[in-house]
Amino acid sequence: MWSSPDKDPEDRPSMIVLKNTNSETQKHRYDLPYKRSETHCHSEYKMSHRRGFQGRKRGANYIWHKFDRRNNHFNYPGTPYAVGLKRRKERYSYEDRYFLTVWNDRKTEECEDLYAERRATERWYKVTIPSGRKYEKTWLINSIQKLCTVPFVPVDFHYDKNRARFFVQDAKIASALKDVNLKICDETSRKISLFVSPSVVPYSVQNKFSSEQMEHLKISIMKRYDASQKALDLEKFRFDQDLMDKDIDMMLNRRSCMVATLQIIESNIPELLSLNLKNNKLYQLDGLSDMTEKAPQVKILNLSRNKLKSIFELEKVKELKLEELWLEGNPFCNCYLDDSEYISAVRDLFPKLLRLDGRELIVPTGMDIEAPQLCKKTHNETELIKNLVLRFLKEYYLFYDNGDRLRLLDAYHDQACFSLSVPFNVSDPDLDNLEEYLKYNRDIKKQQDSNMRVQLLKHTKHDIVTSLSLLPKTQHDLCSFWVDLCFHSEMMLCFSVNGLFKEVEGKCQGCIRAFTRIFIAIPCSDSRICIMNDELIVRNASPKEIQKAFTSSPAPDTSLKPLLSAEQQEMVKSFSVQSGMKLDWSQKCLEDNEWDYTKAGEAFTALQNEGKIPKEFFK
Amino acid sequence: MASVDFKTYVDQACRAAEEFVNVYYTTMDNRRRLLSRLYMGTATLVWNGNAVSGQESLSEFFEMLPSSEFQINVVDCQPVHDEATPSQTTVLVVICGTVKFEGNKQRDFNQNFILTAQASPSNTVWKIASDCFRFQDWAS
Repeated sequence: MWSSPDKDPEDRPSMIVLKNTNSETQKHRYDLPYKRSETHCHSEYKMSHRRGFQGRKRGANYIWHKFDRRNNHFNYPGTPYAVGLKRRKERYSYEDRYFLTVWNDRKTEECEDLYAERRATERWYKVTIPSGRKYEKTWLINSIQKLCTVPFVPVDFHYDKNRARFFVQDAKIASALKDVNLKICDETSRKISLFVSPSVVPYSVQNKFSSEQMEHLKISIMKRYDASQKALDLEKFRFDQDLMDKDIDMMLNRRSCMVATLQIIESNIPELLSLNLKNNKLYQLDGLSDMTEKAPQVKILNLSRNKLKSIFELEKVKELKLEELWLEGNPFCNCYLDDSEYISAVRDLFPKLLRLDGRELIVPTGMDIEAPQLCKKTHNETELIKNLVLRFLKEYYLFYDNGDRLRLLDAYHDQACFSLSVPFNVSDPDLDNLEEYLKYNRDIKKQQDSNMRVQLLKHTKHDIVTSLSLLPKTQHDLCSFWVDLCFHSEMMLCFSVNGLFKEVEGKCQGCIRAFTRIFIAIPCSDSRICIMNDELIVRNASPKEIQKAFTSSPAPDTSLKPLLSAEQQEMVKSFSVQSGMKLDWSQKCLEDNEWDYTKAGEAFTALQNEGKIPKEFFK
Repeated sequence: MASVDFKTYVDQACRAAEEFVNVYYTTMDNRRRLLSRLYMGTATLVWNGNAVSGQESLSEFFEMLPSSEFQINVVDCQPVHDEATPSQTTVLVVICGTVKFEGNKQRDFNQNFILTAQASPSNTVWKIASDCFRFQDWAS
């Protein structure tokens, strides 16, 4: 640049002028500006480079350069020394400021962009479903994921009172989830609300373990794993010596610790069958709800001696297909008046449970489903109907007994009927204590007024459920149930249920009642049934019935006895009526006499006359 | 209109039930041989959990029962909606009472019937489609 020929003449006049005055001083001054100019050019080069990088035109650079250079020479000759210095300083400051400003602007802009982007992707959001507890976690998450346009992984799914909650990371996911509000319908066609709000980092993520800590945790867990039994013993895991030596706090009642543990189980021993979490001060089971995905094979779960205050914590793990469960030593176990109540409550959540707190559970065999068995096809059909009825009854009485009978609305057809009867027994001394039922008593023998007859017959499902809600609160003894399949066709199913219940509120609290319920049902969607007719008969239980109520000992399991032909069944019945002996003893007598009715009768008479038949054989 | 219709059905069911109960238990007590004629050919009786179906089986069963004295304490009935029994007027009848079979003590029982209307030239006849009988103390 300096070697450019058209610039040399300008340089020479300057040198001449300097010589004419004070050559040494002037030379010195000249050198200084020269160096400064050189620096200036260098800076300019850099700026020029940047501008070029930014895509600016080269022409602009050239003009700038020329202007700067000309200005410099014009000012220099006539300027006093002091003024000259000032100008130089000013120029330098200007250059410096310009440079720094540009640099700062770019840096700030760049950082700001990066920061904003990072914030958007790293932000956490809390997703709340206000009435979410009603729904199974799997169903709920799947329903949301189907409708959410952005895939997401729910973090820390848990129930909080009636709400269901989980966290997601990323603003895009949060935005997509907001669109799912009121888009999901449950089985009752109710729209599900879903709300999204900004959140702090979820606890389990906050306290994430380092990879080194995870490695130590894995070693400790694998030491406690019995591969032959596929059993993992994490009792008092917070006192694990290896982990304490490494200063790793492993409190399984902390969400992050449980999450880390389940991660290791999922990665290393997903085939886990038995998990012992005894004595870990667990006060809630939100962290365990992931088990259905991470350790789905678990059949044995030990939660004894923890701090669970409500049995509803178990709802969070009820999707596990448990066969054995240990719960003793938790606070909620003290809430039950007796064992059968406790067992019944646990069983409602884990219907296939075989052992509870080390005790073998009796499979309920009180259900006596008898139906015509005219051919093999009918038999298979009967099995299907039997299972259908049993499932229906369990679900029905779960809602009936557990406080919210309005939820029975879906069990009834729109045009269903319901009525209640209280039989008049001369031998019943306490008929007065049935007054809560007598007020609804529909007995067309006594009630001749046609308007009253219509009024006492509840019609439409809303009226029925309202009426049921007014009846006393109950606890049914499902083990006392006898179920008769009266009639079935393609369009209709009629079955009756006989059993016992007790009242759990009011002035008759604790009273044991006997009931008969006749249902006529029609098929609904998804192999469910819908009630068309419902008749309830309520009476006081007899002393014998009261004695046996809620003992959970099984009633005679007639379904295990060899199948009798229709003729043989008739003989047993008739013999029982004539002899007064119980059905099973009547059957035995007939069997012993090779189903010869006359012979059996003679044998019975002879033995009776000799007084050799024990009292227990008779009804 | 729906209300009027429903009331009509209820009245019809009550009249059917009243008439039926008189006929059934009178026949059971006094004209046992004719009892099976009250049942449809395809009817099923479930007697304390034991199933009996078909005219012949029903006849044999009733013949084997000792003579009886029935007393009826409670009768209730409900119309059954068309959706359960298309084009067949149907009534559910429920009875509570006591019965004394010869040689046995008196016992309380519950019984429920599903009746269907059968058209005949001169009259509507109610036939038993299903019958379910249980002693109240059967299980104890």
